[in-house]
Parts: sequence; C-alpha cells; structure tokens
Amino acid sequence: MIFKLSMTGLKSRLKDYLVLFSGLSAASMIFYMFLTLAANPSFLKSSVAGQLTMQSTKFIFSFGIVLLAILTLVYLAYANSFLLSMRKRDYGMYMMLGAKSSKIGQLIFAETLVTGLLATGIGIVLGVGLTELVSALMVKQLGLTLAHFNPLYLPAVLWTLLFFVALFFLAASWNAVRLTKTTLINLLKEDQKPSKLKSRPVLRTIQAIAGVALMATGYWAMWHVSTLQLKAIPIALVTIVLGSFFIFDAFFVAVIDFLRKRHGFLYKGMRPYTLGQLKFRLHGYTRILSAISIMLALALGAITVGINFDNLKNAMTDVMYYDFVLVGKQKKLADKVEKIGTEEKVTYSYKADEKKGVLYVNKSEIDRTPLKIKMYNAASSDKKKAIDKEGQIYHTVKVTSKTLTGKQTTATIRNSAQAARLFPEDSSKGFVALSDAAFAKKKLTTKVIAFYKVEDFAKNNKKLLKLIDQEMQLFSKNSMTYGYLEFTKPVLYQQIAAMCSGFEFMGLFLGLSFLMMLASTLMFKILSAAASDKLRYKMLYKLGARNSVLKSAIRKEIAILFVAPAVLGSLDVLFGLKFFTLLLPDPYFRIWIPFLAFFLLYLVYYLVTVKLYQGIVLEETKQD
Amino acid sequence: MEKVMTVNNVTKTYGKKGEKQFQALKGVSLSVDKGEFVAIMGTSGSGKTTLLNIMSTLDKPSSGEVTINGKNIAKLKKNQMADFRAKEIGFIFQDFNLLDNLTARENIALPLSLQGVKSSEIDSKVDKIAAKLNISEVLEKYPAAISGGQKQRVAAARALVHEPAILMADEPTGALDSKSSRALLDTMELLNEKDQVSILMVTHDPFSASFADRILFIRDGLIDEEIKRGGMKRQDFYKKLISQLSENAD
Repeated sequence: MIFKLSMTGLKSRLKDYLVLFSGLSAASMIFYMFLTLAANPSFLKSSVAGQLTMQSTKFIFSFGIVLLAILTLVYLAYANSFLLSMRKRDYGMYMMLGAKSSKIGQLIFAETLVTGLLATGIGIVLGVGLTELVSALMVKQLGLTLAHFNPLYLPAVLWTLLFFVALFFLAASWNAVRLTKTTLINLLKEDQKPSKLKSRPVLRTIQAIAGVALMATGYWAMWHVSTLQLKAIPIALVTIVLGSFFIFDAFFVAVIDFLRKRHGFLYKGMRPYTLGQLKFRLHGYTRILSAISIMLALALGAITVGINFDNLKNAMTDVMYYDFVLVGKQKKLADKVEKIGTEEKVTYSYKADEKKGVLYVNKSEIDRTPLKIKMYNAASSDKKKAIDKEGQIYHTVKVTSKTLTGKQTTATIRNSAQAARLFPEDSSKGFVALSDAAFAKKKLTTKVIAFYKVEDFAKNNKKLLKLIDQEMQLFSKNSMTYGYLEFTKPVLYQQIAAMCSGFEFMGLFLGLSFLMMLASTLMFKILSAAASDKLRYKMLYKLGARNSVLKSAIRKEIAILFVAPAVLGSLDVLFGLKFFTLLLPDPYFRIWIPFLAFFLLYLVYYLVTVKLYQGIVLEETKQD
Repeated sequence: MEKVMTVNNVTKTYGKKGEKQFQALKGVSLSVDKGEFVAIMGTSGSGKTTLLNIMSTLDKPSSGEVTINGKNIAKLKKNQMADFRAKEIGFIFQDFNLLDNLTARENIALPLSLQGVKSSEIDSKVDKIAAKLNISEVLEKYPAAISGGQKQRVAAARALVHEPAILMADEPTGALDSKSSRALLDTMELLNEKDQVSILMVTHDPFSASFADRILFIRDGLIDEEIKRGGMKRQDFYKKLISQLSENAD
C-alpha cells in the first residue's frame, strides 16, 4: 500500500523528478567522461610519452579525480536535499495516515537508491555518447591526434558505477535517518518556517574589507610570481580561498545593504524583492559560491593551459632551423621536396673518418653558404632575459668553418642539443675545415647532404613526414643515418604534437568536466530552494505582480547568482595564469577559447536553471 | 450611494464537461457601497473562499459579472488583471503573507514599487500609513522579529498604502490572539469610518463580523440572508448576530 502511495506521489511530481533525474544522470555522465581519460593507462602512455613520466601524469589525474569526487559529493548533497525538499510533505502525509516511521524509512531508502541507480545507469550510457562526441569534436576542431582512446572503457564504467552506488547508499541512509528523526509537524510545515538572518554590521564591514584586501594580496602575489617564485603559490592559495569566502559572506551582502538603503535605486519594480531575496540567498550560498569561483578558475586554467601546449608545440620546433634533411644524392626525394616549395636549400660535401670520429668539410663551401642553426638566447633559465626584441627565445646562428673548428664556440654549439649532430656521422672528435685542394686529396668517400627550409612548415609537416619516412627506408635500422633522421624536424614535430595533443585534450576534458559539474551544482543549489520560494511568488502574484514581471525578476536573481562567482573566478584565472609564465611561452595565448566555451556552457545551464525554477515557483500563477 | 463593487449572478463550476462537476457558486449577487464595511459569513465549504478569489481577480467566474470601481473584471486579460489587482485591491490574509526576506518597510513599499511610483513619494506614503497603523518603530525589522499583531498591521499597511478601491480581508484575525484581534478590528473600523475605506471581510468568526455595517450569509453557494447594523452599537449588533446564528442552526 505504502509502495503504491509512493508511486502515485512520484507520478504527481513527475516534472520535479525529471529535473532531479536528469541532474543525477548528468553527474554520472560527467564523472564517467573524466574517468575514461583518467583511468586509461594506454592512452596516457601513448600521449605523454617522452617529456613527462607516467608518474607525474598519474598524479595530475589522481588529483583531478579526487577534486571531481569531492565536487560530485557536494553536488549529490544538493541534489539530495532537492529530493528531500520535494518529498518531505508526502512522507509527512503518509505518517499522518498512520504509516510507521520505520516503514517510511525503508521507503525513502529504496526510493533514493533506485532513483540514484537508474540515473547512474542512464548517465553512463549518455557518458559514452558524450565522450565520443566531445573527443570527436576536439579532434576535428583542434586537429588533435589521439591514440588508444576509446569512448567505451570498461574500468571507467565499473568505477563510475561503484562510486555512485556508494554515494547513493550514503545518501539513502542519510535520508532515511533524517526523515524518520524529523517531527511530523516539521515535515508538514517546514516550507512555512520563516528564515532568520543574524545581522552583525560591524563584523560584516570588517569581513568585507578583509575580503577585498585578501583578494588583492592574492592577485598581487600571482602577478609577481617571477620575483616571488614558488612563495607565490601558498600566499595566493590561502588569501584567495579566504578572500573569496569573505567576499561572498560579507562584501556582496554589504553592497546589497548599501543598495537597499538607497531608496531611489531600491524602489523600482521588483527590486526590493530581488535584493532582499539575494541577501538571504548569499548568506546560505557563501560556501558554494566561493568554491565555485575557485574551482571555476581551476577549470578555466586547465583549459587555457591545455590549449597552450599547442603553442608549445610550435615553440619547441623553433629550436630547429631546417625543416628537412636529405642524406646522399636522392634525386626522386629531392624533387618531391622541391615540389612542396623550398625557401632555402644548402648542400654540402664532406668526408667522414668514422674510426677517428672526425669530419672533414670543404672550407670555401661552408663559408660561402654557412649552415644555419638555432640557439637559445640566454644561458640562464630566466625566460625574461631570453626573449629578444622579436619576442623569440631562439636566435639564428650562422655556422662557418671558424665556428666549427674554434674550440670555444664548438663547445657552445655542442651544448645546444640539436647542434650536437649536424651530420649523420660521428663527429665527437671535432671538425676539420680543408681547402678545396686538400679536401679533394683526402682519401675518404665524398658524401653529400642537403638541408631544406620549406614554405609553411606546420602546414606541410604531414608531407615532409612521409618523405622522411621514405628516406629512412633507404637505410638500415641500425645505421647512424637512420638514427640521425629520427631526430629531424618533421619527426620531432610529430612526437611533440602528439604529446601536446594529449595535454590539450586532458586540459579541455578536465576543464569541461569541472565546469559542467560546477554549473550543475549551482543549478541544484538554486533549485533546492525553489519549493520554499513557491509561497513567496504566490504572494507577489496576489499583490498584483504580473507573471512577466515575476519571470524577469527570477531571471535577474539567478543571473546574479551565476555571474558573481563567474566574475571572481575569471579574475582568479587571469591573474593565476601568470604562474604559467614560468612554464609556457605565452599562457594568455588564445584565452578567448576557454572563456567562450565556458560562457556558452554556463549560459545553457543558466537558461535551464531559470526555466526549471520558473516551472516550479510559478506553477500556481499560471492561470489565464 | 456610489457602488464600489457589484457581483451579479456569479456562478463557478469546477470540473470539465463530461466529468463529475461541482458547482461551488450557484448565482451569487451582492454589492458594496463606497465607504461600506461588509462581512461575508459562511461555514467551510459554503463557497466563501471561491467567492473571494473571484472578487479579488485571482480566479474567473464560470458565468456572471464582477464590477469593481466601474470595471468588469471578468473581461480583463491576465496582465490587466494583475495590474488591476495591484491598483484597485488591497489584501489582508489570515497568515499575513508577508515576505520574510524583506523588512516591514520594504513589504509595505512593494506594491508602490511595482506600480512605478517615485521613491520619495513611496517613502512618505509608507511613513504615513505606518504612523496611522502604529508600526513606525518596526519598519526596519524583518517579519520574523515582530509580533503577530504587528505583522498583521504591516500586512494591513501594505494592503492600504496604494489607496485601493476596496480592502479585502480573508479571516484577518484567524492567526491572532484576542488582544491583537481586537486591536486590528478597531483599526479596520477606524479606517472605515474616518478614511472611508471600503472593506469586504470574509470570516466565520461572529465577533469579527460584528464590526461590519452589513453581514451577508453564504450557504451552499448562495447568499441566503443579510443583516444590517443600522444605528446599532457594536455590542448589540453582536448579540443580534449570535441569536441569528443560533436561529439558523435550529
């Protein structure tokens, strides 16, 4: 009988349940999406090969999972309170009709668990689709290359399921205990209890000022990261976390109080109501809003930094001057390279004494057309000093016979990585520059090598890679030349691009998962208050506020709740990216992409929240 | 005498055609003169709440006409109804219906703010009505911090601040103790006598009803009786009302 009652209760609140259900599904969907990446070792291995070891990547992702898990926990707590606020009255009613509280407890437990499991199942299915879509979109839009990535990843399915089952089990127990411990009268009448607000104006003023001061300190520390170095991190962490809390707890409330005292501003349409409502809301929203602003900054930061690795790809290939090398006389390959369009081509003849490790070059030839290489601008790791007038950190050096044979410069060149092997053969004992006659006399085979610089390397990289591949086929895998060709620009570019794609993908994925989870959390926090706001809107309607006026007031109120943490979070990112000047050439590069993505995503959540909230609170004012 | 409101042969049927229908109002007619204090009495289920909802534009009649201040409200569109409510009608409810997140001052100011009245004008009007209802000292407080009697007077101030054509009260003393009830009813009587505020009160409490000039009895969706106070003292009118009620019960 009770079960039947519960089912009818469910039916009558189908719309509210759909909101809850879609919210829970979204949570598991996002969690799954993140896990497909984070728990997939073959993908991580393939994309981050080289520069970063598996361990540090694992660390980044474990950290990500922990953060996301905490976020999910908070999210579910809000979603759960939404469920409770929906069902309280019904359960109260059953108890009034004589249902035993233990029976009700079982019912709540079952209902929460079943709802949660169903939602998780659907969420995972959707998650596979979303992962497919998002990864395909990223591959297409950003030209990423992904290896070993499959949207359907069984361990991720299992972990998501396990995590959510555990959470829902907790939520179900909590609900059962809570509802059976609440007195019947409170179950029935809780909506009508007035909210209370302590007002301590002096304390609030101090908090408001402290909030602004703390934020300013945090921003200052991040901005001066180059002088503060690592000290900036703890300073910023503490000041910004505390500062955000004070900003929402006191500063915004102080602003609202200030506005409420200006009656010229206050008495315009629904403003008295909107401001009053906001003040009360902010009080209960302090923690979530400050958490959102900080997490938002992290998510945006992850996306921005991720995208920036793409920039790094170009920066890293800047270390090489020539785009292509042809070892020996390769007429067919040479023609193909010329077809791509060459900007520069230099050819040298040389002789190698492979036993001694000495290379002989033709002095007049190399002095007539010096070999060009790229060198780092400064020896120190201080990036500021390294950037020259053109914004480059590498400059071009012309290598002549003097450079090759002079002792000091040779050492410097040797130290710069790519110069260590200018030619395929061993030159560990150095170079000898010979006159035309002496070169001709040397009893060694004359070898030829050609260096090319092509038009638009990034665009033609794929073609060059194919040609290098063909060239490598000509040599045995154990030969010096084969190894030499593996370190040419097209090959390195390809490797770095794959690695950067991995980072970019991870950054975007991490960021997007976070953003979606944050926005969903905010949505539920707002929606869980809708049931008790219903009465307020009914009163306003009776007072003669048009439905359209009520709707626009709701839009404004929710907009402020969405925008406030977004603004603070954006500021956090803008200052926080300064940190990455230590790591990336230009952390602010293409910053509009994450901001645009964030804006669009956030906008969708905002519109959905407004629509759902209006649907709940204006239910009874919809007569015609 | 000028009529501030007339209700002409109003019916209200719940339930769609083909389904089981219930007629809550079966043709109610009444009128309220300008400056008159009218009470409508009836037991639960008599249709008094339905009638009040229709008279206050919160609901539409199935047939018949309601005219307030010369306007037929049945013909108004949804938005016009809201505007009409905001301008011409003042409400007092049993459970006060104050917005708990606004101060008393903001609660009273809200109807004016919704109508786009200038802020300086709002302040002076709020102060004036607050002084009249003796709530000046609680204006900056939130509803949770004031007593029930004060809450209802704040609600009354909110209902009257925009000088509506008619004040509608739905069991205004229902949630008040006897002292606060008495004070509120005295205030309503005073407003009616001094400021010529037209009042329509729905109640089942004979003591409250005895403050009115005229009492209408509603039963099973029809107004079946009416008694007038005439020049009678309130106490005598109350006695007459009680005897009338016991007569009806027989």
